[in-house]
Amino acid sequence: MMSAFAQAVLNGIMNGALLAVPAVGFTMIFAVLRYPNFAIAAYISTGALAGWVANTWLGVGALPALVVAFAAAGLVGVAVEEAALARLRPSGALTVAIASIAANLVVENMLRFGFGNDLRGYDLPLRPDFRIAGLRIGPQAVETFLLAAVVMAVLFLFLRFARLGRAMRAVADNPDLARLKGISPRRVAMVAVFLGAGLAGGGGVLLGLDTAIDPLTGYRVLLSVFAAAVLGGLGSIPGAVVGALSIGLAEEVAMLAIPATYRSAIGFAAILLILTFRPRGLLGERAV
Amino acid sequence: MLSYILFTLTLGGIYALLSLSLNLIWGGAGMVNLGLAGFFAVGAYASALVTGAGAPLVIGWGAAIVVGLAAGLLVTFCTLRLRDDYLAIVTLGFAEVVRLVALNERWLTRGADGISGIQAPLKAELGTAGFNLFYLGLVAAVVAVVWFGLRRLDLSPYGRALRAIREDQELASFAGKRVLRFKFEAFALSAAIAALAGALYAHYASYVSPDHFQPLITIYIFLGVTAGGVGRPLGALIGGYAVVAFLEATRFMAALMPGLSPLQHAALREIMVGLALILVLHLRPQGLLPERIPPAPRVP
Amino acid sequence: MVISRRMLLGSTAALAGTLALPPLSLAQGEPIRLATLTPLTGAGGPYGPVMVKAAKAVVDEVNAAGGVLGRKIELISEDDQTNPEAGVRAARKLIDVDKVVAIIGTWSSAVTTAVAPLCWESKTFLATVSGADAITLLPHQGYLIRTQPNTTLQGRKFGEFALAQGAKRVFFLSPQTPFFQSQLDNITAAVKKGGGEVGSLVYDDKKPSYRSEIDEALRFKPDALVLGGYTPDTTVLVKDLYRAGYKGLVVAFGYSVNQKLVDGVPAEAVEGIYTISPSPAEGSKAYERLVKLIGVANPDPYTTQVYDETNLIIMAIAAAGQASGTAIKDNIRKVAQSKGGVVVDNAVDGLKAIAAGKAVDYDGASGPCDFTDIGDIADCQFRYEQVKAGKITLVKIA
Repeated sequence: MMSAFAQAVLNGIMNGALLAVPAVGFTMIFAVLRYPNFAIAAYISTGALAGWVANTWLGVGALPALVVAFAAAGLVGVAVEEAALARLRPSGALTVAIASIAANLVVENMLRFGFGNDLRGYDLPLRPDFRIAGLRIGPQAVETFLLAAVVMAVLFLFLRFARLGRAMRAVADNPDLARLKGISPRRVAMVAVFLGAGLAGGGGVLLGLDTAIDPLTGYRVLLSVFAAAVLGGLGSIPGAVVGALSIGLAEEVAMLAIPATYRSAIGFAAILLILTFRPRGLLGERAV
Repeated sequence: MLSYILFTLTLGGIYALLSLSLNLIWGGAGMVNLGLAGFFAVGAYASALVTGAGAPLVIGWGAAIVVGLAAGLLVTFCTLRLRDDYLAIVTLGFAEVVRLVALNERWLTRGADGISGIQAPLKAELGTAGFNLFYLGLVAAVVAVVWFGLRRLDLSPYGRALRAIREDQELASFAGKRVLRFKFEAFALSAAIAALAGALYAHYASYVSPDHFQPLITIYIFLGVTAGGVGRPLGALIGGYAVVAFLEATRFMAALMPGLSPLQHAALREIMVGLALILVLHLRPQGLLPERIPPAPRVP
Repeated sequence: MVISRRMLLGSTAALAGTLALPPLSLAQGEPIRLATLTPLTGAGGPYGPVMVKAAKAVVDEVNAAGGVLGRKIELISEDDQTNPEAGVRAARKLIDVDKVVAIIGTWSSAVTTAVAPLCWESKTFLATVSGADAITLLPHQGYLIRTQPNTTLQGRKFGEFALAQGAKRVFFLSPQTPFFQSQLDNITAAVKKGGGEVGSLVYDDKKPSYRSEIDEALRFKPDALVLGGYTPDTTVLVKDLYRAGYKGLVVAFGYSVNQKLVDGVPAEAVEGIYTISPSPAEGSKAYERLVKLIGVANPDPYTTQVYDETNLIIMAIAAAGQASGTAIKDNIRKVAQSKGGVVVDNAVDGLKAIAAGKAVDYDGASGPCDFTDIGDIADCQFRYEQVKAGKITLVKIA
């Protein structure tokens, strides 16, 4: 039983790591633009498919595929933002959020239009888990976890110390004041969306390694990604990672007691529970 | 062709009720409910189960409203202290949980099979064609009653108070409005209307299943309310009907594009729905019928 | 010219007579309309497009050979969005606006259950591939057939096959489907009879990893796993099974571990998996014919079934001499299972035989296609296939 519990904890961390990168992307956009971007699901799928194109048409490995996915999803994100969302910002965050739901539908179906619904997979070998003290650990999950940690650290440092990053935080805190100081909110918004959508796309490749790649790759994990970001506190980058790991843990550990088929509900129950005590999530509001 | 139009109009009425429900909570109190499909489901299942156990239709619909109210109160209670954006995501999760329960609790909901053979009022007496006409009238009557009630509410001091909360919660509470209570009531009422729409749907289609209540329908209703005019019941009502008409029209529009596969036609239809919502938000954010803010009565 | 009262009466009667006749006589020369209603978007999206392709291939083939009853066939395809609400809207349009005589290929059991009443009320024929046992029990008055074997026909085979491979402990992993319970009961009955044990777990089909689910399954110490899901979730499962180092027997539905899945997953993760699909008897050429017709190496069971349904409906129209849902309902069994009839495996040959006044017995790509009174297939054999070096290879038909 003890080993089952330990394995469930490990599984939770591995499962959570998978959600962490897209959750960071989602929360990144929120941190600067203050609206929940539902199109993140389509950006994840865009990245997964772009990575697939790079991997199977151009024959590149996982890392270059990640870069291609990052760039492709980032560009799609910026295009959507500029074409469909940016001008709605004065109408309020919820209006933009609703437009982003529509944008998600559009992008998902453009992918479907171009690629069809066929399931695809990367041309990369799978590696069996290794065992330590009877516990299974997936080498790829470890890499995903490390990547999530690195992404989090780099973004955190970027926002804290880089000039552009500080400008982004300034815009997030007070757009008017930022403008007075000569920071272009538009440029900052574009960078934030590029990074956020790009991370979602990169996360899409990681997801694609484990799941099927099709226009719904992102949609299937959307609620879990949201749950992760909300749990950690919308707008907090370390929060998104902590939230993702917590959701992963909650889902897998609860499975020892609750039927597996309710996994999604467990994530939801976890956010309700945490939000009851901390309405702004685990790592609060401005922990950037 | 005629039965197709009757069908589309009946469904339009059900979408109009959902739009009125969303308009109350979104247009009225400024809260975004992305869990509309969940409340729709709750009402549909409640009425299907109650009438399935032998209760008359009226009791079934009553049950749908009561269960809808209860679900609305529960969700508001769980989300009271949340900010709007958190609320939007939590309500989305709520709808998924409702779907999961309907899918997995076979003893209650018959699981993925769904409940078929739900009683269709007077169908045996009227025949299929007569029933379709009758139900169209019934749905239209319910829509009219709900619309009339919401309009009265909208123009009443209560409606003004809701709007005050929407515009500035702190100011409203400073002005002595009991913000929490208003939110509770508005959300519960909105949930009850969505549940009633669910009950109407269940007895029209005679069949409900977990697959009926996917998030896409919530997007459709958002399109309806936005197009009709957020904050104005008549706008939402028209928007509800319009969105069904639009959804159906996309079939014929997509078919006009030659040389595409059926899959591409299907994708194109959904692209049109998404684009329509984005365009409405950009070009006519106030919708077809803009909100009217009635002046406060003059204090003599 | 004086129009006599008698002439007037006569012509009115003739007019009334024309109106009362079935649409056939009015629309002589107009195309006969058939429809596919398959999932093109939503969770069933991976399956719908190729099903449409199969139906279209049959229609094109028949049209090229001169059509049926001297008329061309027009195929209209709508998307059910894997959602019964949307499916009903699409079906209403197909029935009321396009006036199709038959709808082919509803996939999700919920969509089929939602659409079926519309069909029998409007006397439109419905041919489905849905698996829920409840579907053929609907009061459909004969307006529905289903080519997917029900769980009593199919579930037992999984259990028996696992036993035959020497497995004693069988574990069934499945998402929540309408046929989960009956499938499990049938597997259990078969395995218990051979002295084995069965365990089961229902999982959430949208998750990106199933590590803990697999841990739970492996704690049962199974020597055979039966996978009950569809391609997207089964893709995740087989990858995680490989990672977990599970080396035992894996048996899956032919529609889940299909060519697309095999192509999309690294070969080592699917190597050795067995699949079971309904099949015609050994020696039937229908399957190979379909392969050639649509250019897909291993068409999955849904594709073979849609192919058969389309062929059967077209032949039923020819046998009836008129195109209507009722005509199809009354004649489909005559072309599917006439004792001593000419055995055909496609509509073009069947139409020739019917024109020559012969009885026809269709044996299709998914099986012999003989139907019981409630519309289930009476019996069929199964193809047992195994994934070997990235190819789905036939093991046996039994």
